[in-house]
Amino acid sequence: MTTMTVRERGNMWSYRSLIWNFAQRDLKARFKGTALGWLWSLVVPIATLVIYSVVFSTIMRMEPPPFGNGNKGNFTVWLLAGLTAWSMFAGSLNTAIGALLGAGPLLKKIYFPPYTPVLGSVIALLIQSMIELGIYLVVLTALGNVSWTWLLVPFWLVIFAVFLSSISIALAVLNVHFRDLAHIIGVAIQLLFYLSPIIYPMSLIAGKSKMGISATTLISANPITQFIEIFRDLTYGLTPGSPLAWLYITVWALAMAWVARRVYRARALDLSEEL
Amino acid sequence: MTDPAVRVVGISKKFTLHTEKRNSLKERLVRGRARTDGDFWALTDVSFDVPRGTTFGLIGNNGSGKSTMLKLLAGVHRPTSGSVIANGRVSALLELGAGFHGELTGRENIYLNGSILGLSKRQIDQSMEKIIDFAGIGDFIDAPVKVYSSGMYVRLGFSIAVTVDPEILIVDEIIAVGDEEFQRKCFDYMFELRKRGTTIVMVTHSMGLVESMCDQAAWLENGQLKAIGDSRDVVRQYLDTVNDREVAAALPQPVAETPQVVVGGEHPRLGSGEVRIVGLEYLNESGSLQPVLMCGDPATFRMHYRATESLRDVVFGLGFRHETGVTLAGPNSENGPTPVPVLASEGFVDFHVPRLTLQPGNYEVSVAAVKRGHTYDHVDRGFELRVRGHDGSEPGLTRMFGHWTAPALTVEPSVVSGSPR
Repeated sequence: MTTMTVRERGNMWSYRSLIWNFAQRDLKARFKGTALGWLWSLVVPIATLVIYSVVFSTIMRMEPPPFGNGNKGNFTVWLLAGLTAWSMFAGSLNTAIGALLGAGPLLKKIYFPPYTPVLGSVIALLIQSMIELGIYLVVLTALGNVSWTWLLVPFWLVIFAVFLSSISIALAVLNVHFRDLAHIIGVAIQLLFYLSPIIYPMSLIAGKSKMGISATTLISANPITQFIEIFRDLTYGLTPGSPLAWLYITVWALAMAWVARRVYRARALDLSEEL
Repeated sequence: MTDPAVRVVGISKKFTLHTEKRNSLKERLVRGRARTDGDFWALTDVSFDVPRGTTFGLIGNNGSGKSTMLKLLAGVHRPTSGSVIANGRVSALLELGAGFHGELTGRENIYLNGSILGLSKRQIDQSMEKIIDFAGIGDFIDAPVKVYSSGMYVRLGFSIAVTVDPEILIVDEIIAVGDEEFQRKCFDYMFELRKRGTTIVMVTHSMGLVESMCDQAAWLENGQLKAIGDSRDVVRQYLDTVNDREVAAALPQPVAETPQVVVGGEHPRLGSGEVRIVGLEYLNESGSLQPVLMCGDPATFRMHYRATESLRDVVFGLGFRHETGVTLAGPNSENGPTPVPVLASEGFVDFHVPRLTLQPGNYEVSVAAVKRGHTYDHVDRGFELRVRGHDGSEPGLTRMFGHWTAPALTVEPSVVSGSPR
């Protein structure tokens, strides 16, 4: 029997079952009571994909880079890569930011670490994204565009997950204190969408800018850009991606983890009073 | 083990009061930081130990800090200063079914709620049958909890919580929910836990429960520890203070000129009127006027009358009717010891009891002055009487004062504890 203050029950690992249960709750609640169930999670991405494909490849005649196996590129497939990675980012933030408010009644009655419901919803979202990712990889396989570089995708996913979880925890905690943060984040996500090479390739960006910093620098500095670029390199271009980009996303993930920890320590421990 | 199960050391808890909540960035930017209306100390420097294996009650008025204390014990809030140390796994039942998700079925919610309470999936799997059985909600277990009745909701919540098999259980006034059958189940279970050596900390307003279930109790008032110790002593101290306060708040009733006639009394006033009872007073041992009488204490009922003729052999009577509608007693002066003569003026008669046997509660008092079948005056339920107690109530409407003895034992009892069936 150990002496402890009531809150110290263990580290993140000891709460894995709770986190997993929150994730399951999110997944089950999302698709219960809908006739098509899981299929719904694909309706929005497919619609987005179709719309962007039509607009950018048919109307604006955007030229996609060639596949890694040497074949001529396909804009829709190339776009799917970007959208898959993007929807992990945007989806996590959108669902996780409200996770603490959603768990509010519970947090006021029972103690559990507030990060658990947030991580639960990030995990739920990532699981949902696996369907999209799977479809994308099946399409690539059908096109014969497969290589050993796919084996690096899990590593990319781990770094991305750390990055997403950290941002989500920080924002979810702050959102309890500042309830309008969700709106601001909504706008910021939209802005980031256009600051990331999802619907346009990096090669298309005009080099010079009137404001001093070039658009290329700005877009490259965006960590989402690097996450998307590496993902495309691994799966579409079939190259391992530049070491610098890997380093860049790792540093970002760790920095966000540090920020999340700071925010959590400073703001999350008395949440039960704010909710 | 001599270590206490829970040790509370110098705990204080401050809440910041805001006139208006400014929890949006917009408001922060436009109007700056919220003005604080000062701090509210829900608890100041409270320390106590809960010995292992005992049941500990927290009592006090509303707003005294009991619930805050429980939340600190459960870890929901952090203390502003001081610390709570728990030796063992804590399970808190501050609200049953708080973590249920309406769309999920009862079974799915068991997994979710169980893991919040710290159970692993395997433990939940093992306890699943027991939980479903204890909740007794039948086939509803596979229906979404949003279709549950509130009773079923609570039962499922309790079933999950008690299955955690905690070493330290923290309970907020939850036993009061559910039907009679379920309440008994809860009590049986709590008894079971006590026997197994679980430490229980509970908040309740039922003094009877504290006396019967708790070994020790702490009395909080305005966030401070007022008394701690044997639960009976603490309850007695608490009740005495509450009683005193009630007495102080209720101004001693002056002798009423005419009895307050209770609306709805079937026969408010009867009689020929040669003698009219104009007031009823309650006096304590020392003869001072009381708005409230204490069960077990000496009491005097003083009936003031006004007579237009001098009469002999007037019989005065009192009737005590409990708020539940039961008439408990009807003492009258017919049986003496001395006849009460009445002069044509104002006066009073006293009825003394050495020990008030009425249980705490509210009573309606009827008064009458009669003579062999003739009614001079009768006021049906014209007066109110409040009786309060020094300790938690026993069941029933009257208290039998007595003492218990047992013959000296010649052999050691072989069975020390048994099932209370």
